[in-house]
Amino acid sequence: MTNLIETRDLCRTFGSEETKVTALDHVSINIEQGEFTAIIGPSGSGKTTLLHLIGGLDEPNSGSVTLSGSNIADMSGNQLSDFRRDHIGFIFQAYNLIPVLSAEENIEYIMLLQGISAAERKKRVKEMLELVELDGLGDRRPSHLSGGQQQRVAVARAMASKPDIILADEPTANLDSKTGISLLDVMRDLNQKRKMTFVFSTHDEKIMDRATRLIYLRDGKVERDERK
Amino acid sequence: MLTFQIAFRNILRQKRRSLLTGLSMTGGYVLFVFGFSLLEGSYGNIIDIFTLDSTGHIQIHQDDYRDRPKIYKTIQNQEQIKVALTDNPEIKSFTPRVFSPALAYAGDKTAPSRIIGIDPVLEPTVSRLVQKVAKGTYFSTSPNPDGYYEAMIGRGLHIRLKLDVGDELVLISSGADGSIANDIFVVSAIIGNKTSFDRMAVYLPLVAAQEFLSLGDDVHEYALLVNDKDANETIARGLSAQLSELTVAPWQEVEATFYRTMQADKQGNYFSMGLITFIVFIGVLNTVLMSVLERTREFGVLRAIGSRPMQLVRLISLETFILAFISVMVGFLLILPFVYWFAEVGMLMPEPIDMGGIEFQHLKGEMSARVFWIPMAFILGTAVLISIPPGFRAARILPKEAMGSH
Repeated sequence: MTNLIETRDLCRTFGSEETKVTALDHVSINIEQGEFTAIIGPSGSGKTTLLHLIGGLDEPNSGSVTLSGSNIADMSGNQLSDFRRDHIGFIFQAYNLIPVLSAEENIEYIMLLQGISAAERKKRVKEMLELVELDGLGDRRPSHLSGGQQQRVAVARAMASKPDIILADEPTANLDSKTGISLLDVMRDLNQKRKMTFVFSTHDEKIMDRATRLIYLRDGKVERDERK
Repeated sequence: MLTFQIAFRNILRQKRRSLLTGLSMTGGYVLFVFGFSLLEGSYGNIIDIFTLDSTGHIQIHQDDYRDRPKIYKTIQNQEQIKVALTDNPEIKSFTPRVFSPALAYAGDKTAPSRIIGIDPVLEPTVSRLVQKVAKGTYFSTSPNPDGYYEAMIGRGLHIRLKLDVGDELVLISSGADGSIANDIFVVSAIIGNKTSFDRMAVYLPLVAAQEFLSLGDDVHEYALLVNDKDANETIARGLSAQLSELTVAPWQEVEATFYRTMQADKQGNYFSMGLITFIVFIGVLNTVLMSVLERTREFGVLRAIGSRPMQLVRLISLETFILAFISVMVGFLLILPFVYWFAEVGMLMPEPIDMGGIEFQHLKGEMSARVFWIPMAFILGTAVLISIPPGFRAARILPKEAMGSH
């Protein structure tokens, strides 16, 4: 298996000298293609910070992140935007859909950024909506969808650009148990059928049960790394 | 298309705020168009008054006759000019003129005067002389049964020489050949009023003036009207190249001082209108900035999923442009009938304005494409311009911070 993600001695602190908080302290991990990985730890352990650094949403104080062989620290602003667009799919705890766009359009937008033709976009949108079992609800705006449905749209949006990796920050935190399980099954299915790599930050046991690998963080350090 | 939809829907997202912002832009556009129409209309009227009163849109002379007039500086090869002017589709009409100073006698009174020889048939196609006849009748080309040519005199001469319609007028001048010119003419009309530029003028039929001044068929000036008065400078340049041995000047050169003053005044008015629009747009800038601040999280998401910073700048500019475009279109529909009425009927003034013997009772605006599209371009351009700083603010948003976590 090839390493899709490599972090080397990642350090990230927040605040000034007096109020300094160390979110990540020399974190080095490798994640392989097709893994269904959960980063686990208590609040403040650095899970979300690690996801943001992997996704190029934040910059480390030291250390490096290599995705598909590219060191993201070497990229300019536009290159990083393009890299996120083409290689990374994000799923956020608060869904973060564009409120003025329908479910279909939210999924389509990232493909528009990629310059994909209208016909191909429409085809993929339909496919994605079927995958997340939302066919028939594509014309609804986020405000007319339940939390679970919005998160499914977010999953579809993350998948639509055919990224190498999907980073999901506590995707089930705002969902009820039944909806969370249903969504996880969708993602696990995608992982198994399409060999898509998922990395979650979570303390949801349902995700831990389904994950093929568990990385435990505590106080910004990797405490344990288990493959099932 | 999707970007357009996002922009359009974002406008509808905060309906009340968009409505108020749109109304301020509509108001700015309406004010700008009205001011512009009034300004252009007023100056258009003034330009018409004196171009149709005397100068025409273009004048043709021999050498430097306009600056240093001498009786012998005449246009001789008139056939070539007539062909050039007749063949030019941009020229509406033209008329020849001759000029000379003269001493006017009536009974025991004398007064200095200026002879203006005009073609009685062609002159009304270029100037409003016929409308300026205050008393009597516009003269004819031929002499009367007694063999005297008719003359029309300015109001000043009428008062000074106590001359009236039907009286005899004696003119003394010098001919182009050096001879002494003197003759009797019969007054057929009194022209204009005491403020007219030609209050001391004596209008003679062209043939009479040429004969009186021993000019043969020569003339001193051709005055022209063109179909598109805004293109007169270009047409004058074309004629100048065609009639290279003559001096062709647009009215802007003929009345250079007035033209410069008018331009300076216009610039001042444009500046005032621009200032009003700018003040309107300070409010618009505030609205766009507020909108960007409210949507920080959304812009963070767009950045996170791969939008480039400049794509956000373009999105915000597009939103502002669409709102400005709708506002301007609404403003256009609102102001169009008003500008039309203002141009066609005009506002009745409490006191009529007298311009060289022609009275104007209505203040009129201009109805033309530029009256609408120049303010439109200005408003749309300013809208895009003021959206750039908020756009860059959105472009600088860091996805991680925008999404409210680290």
